[in-house]
Amino acid sequence: MELEQEILIPPADVAGPSTRPVKVIRPPSFSPGILISGLAELFWYRDLLYTLTLHRVRVRYKQSALGLGWALVQPLAMMLVYTIIFSIFARFPSKGVPYSLFVLCGILPWNFFQTALSTSATGLVSHTSLITKVYFPREILPFSYVMAAFFDFLVACIILIAMMAWYHVGLTMQVLYIVPILLVEVAFISGVGLLFSAFQVRFRDIGIAMPLLLQLWMFCAPVVYSYSDVPKRFRSLYMLDPMAGIVENFRRVVIQGWGADLRLLGVSVAAAAIVLPLGYMYFKHREATMADVI
Amino acid sequence: MTALRFESVSKRYRITSGSNSSESGSRTKTHKSDFWALRDVNFEVAQGESLGIIGHNGAGKSTVLKLLSNISTPTKGKITINGRISALLEVGSGFHPELTGRENVYLSGSILGMRRAEITSKLESIIEFAGVRPFIDIPVKRFSSGMFVRLGFSIAAHLDPDILLLDEVLAVGDYAFQEKCKQRIAEMHRQGTTMVFISHDLNAVRSVCQRALLLQRGEVLAEGSPDEVIRRYTETAGFHQRPQITDERRVAEVTGVQFFDANGNRANGFKTGDPVSVRIDYLAHRHIPEGSLSLYFLTSDAGIAAQWTTSLCGRPIDMQIGPGSVEFTCDELGLQPGVYQIDATIEKNGTAEEYEWQHACASIHVDVGKTRGSFYMPHTWRETSHEYGNMLESLAQGING
Repeated sequence: MELEQEILIPPADVAGPSTRPVKVIRPPSFSPGILISGLAELFWYRDLLYTLTLHRVRVRYKQSALGLGWALVQPLAMMLVYTIIFSIFARFPSKGVPYSLFVLCGILPWNFFQTALSTSATGLVSHTSLITKVYFPREILPFSYVMAAFFDFLVACIILIAMMAWYHVGLTMQVLYIVPILLVEVAFISGVGLLFSAFQVRFRDIGIAMPLLLQLWMFCAPVVYSYSDVPKRFRSLYMLDPMAGIVENFRRVVIQGWGADLRLLGVSVAAAAIVLPLGYMYFKHREATMADVI
Repeated sequence: MTALRFESVSKRYRITSGSNSSESGSRTKTHKSDFWALRDVNFEVAQGESLGIIGHNGAGKSTVLKLLSNISTPTKGKITINGRISALLEVGSGFHPELTGRENVYLSGSILGMRRAEITSKLESIIEFAGVRPFIDIPVKRFSSGMFVRLGFSIAAHLDPDILLLDEVLAVGDYAFQEKCKQRIAEMHRQGTTMVFISHDLNAVRSVCQRALLLQRGEVLAEGSPDEVIRRYTETAGFHQRPQITDERRVAEVTGVQFFDANGNRANGFKTGDPVSVRIDYLAHRHIPEGSLSLYFLTSDAGIAAQWTTSLCGRPIDMQIGPGSVEFTCDELGLQPGVYQIDATIEKNGTAEEYEWQHACASIHVDVGKTRGSFYMPHTWRETSHEYGNMLESLAQGING
């Protein structure tokens, strides 16, 4: 069962001056064709994705005195707490850079993942009234949360830049790797977000389990420690976490000036390449009856 | 050229109901049952045509609307939509209270499928139509409900679709704004927009639509000119539509409800202020020494518009075993225009103990009659200015004298 829609543009002479799109709505059936038709429709609605993202960012900081400053406060506070616990109390190694900078480099990509996933997973359910009244490609809702979280991430990067200047840590050419790293992260989050938000429509358990899941997941990723601290016998299992490759490589290329660990990154790329199309197809398949069950 | 086509469209809803609790959490204790909201529905709407869809509550009207606007998908069949379709369903969908009016125009407009550039070019016109220019840059949470609704409708009215779906949206805002909305819709229709109008308001269907469709229990019962279909519609609710089963276990039952006009002819359509009489037939299975009969006039949203009852007149009805009947008469019908579903009850006089509650045993439609307003008050009048003048004159004479 899956939604099948075709958008065909008839020749101009038939349709008159303004082209009329012909839309055929059929019962859900399974075919990979929806991947293409879905994307075509998503492209048509791209302005909505932009508007909704803008809306999320605006609403979050409206009527708060600190405004956008809140995007800085949270990673800053986490950095302080982790530095006190893991550097002053527990004396974690930090590979030649100050631990506060080291942990901040883990917090930033992780926070993006955490915020994007938790907000996008509940994104559909919190828009029930909209979903039952207006049609638009539903994936725009979880996507807009991912985009808004990405915006917050970019703002929070100001702290990183300031800290690097303060500690005189320079950038190398390796920093160019952050483009593919972030692309992979966005793709992976979008895929998981689509899956989770579609599950959440039927089983509200996802929303309840999310904080626990994210907390456990964080300690399975090299956020407060380094990948090289993981005992060798666990590594083959450990590297299966797609977030490990993203967080570790972000830190490597930004502050350590090393090239990306391509084996780790490869796992993340593979995970994103599987999860995103599958998540999208599952989501579109569920979309057909979403308004009936939500 | 066809604007939209339904081909053998059926829609099934899975009703998941918990046997012990209404919470959806306990999935193990749930059972499923199917409900077919639409069965094998076929119809076509030509380009530029306006089609009205009428039917009682639960007939499948909203399902048709949901399928047309692509909110839901059919279980069977095929829907072809030729052109851009917009629904004026819920005005103000997608508004966020914290955002300003202007920001909400962009948000709501994009949700309804407009491009940003398109919204920018229509922004002035949208604000103008809604009449909220001084307030456009304050958060809509500070808007009055009237301003909120006007802005919502104004955005939707600027969609310029090829096909427009209309629900009961004409009832927004004040009288002047409603007129503006009606003009706007008429203008769109003149420009060749195809209309699908789903409503309980038979007068509106009659005046707006060229063709009508009657749905009953998910099937198309009649199709044709609005007058013809509306006549069928008001006939469908009566007893002749359902099998008459007498049940010996019950104390008494209502077996017929018939409406008559001033000439004593059976009728289902009246005008406000018309004389009306109603005959209720009942069958008592047991002797009810002190019974009473009531008639409820229910609006389309199931509110009680009026009640007629024998219990107010003091004398109880002595219902002997077997059939009997009661006739109510009303010199001037006070109901406002609309469709009313009739429920009839038999109860123990002066108590709330009901022997029988017959749902939807008839329906009538009321058209605009003697006066305007939300209800009709019987009234008489006489000229008094002359007498009043005489009185003043004699009073003045009394003072002077």
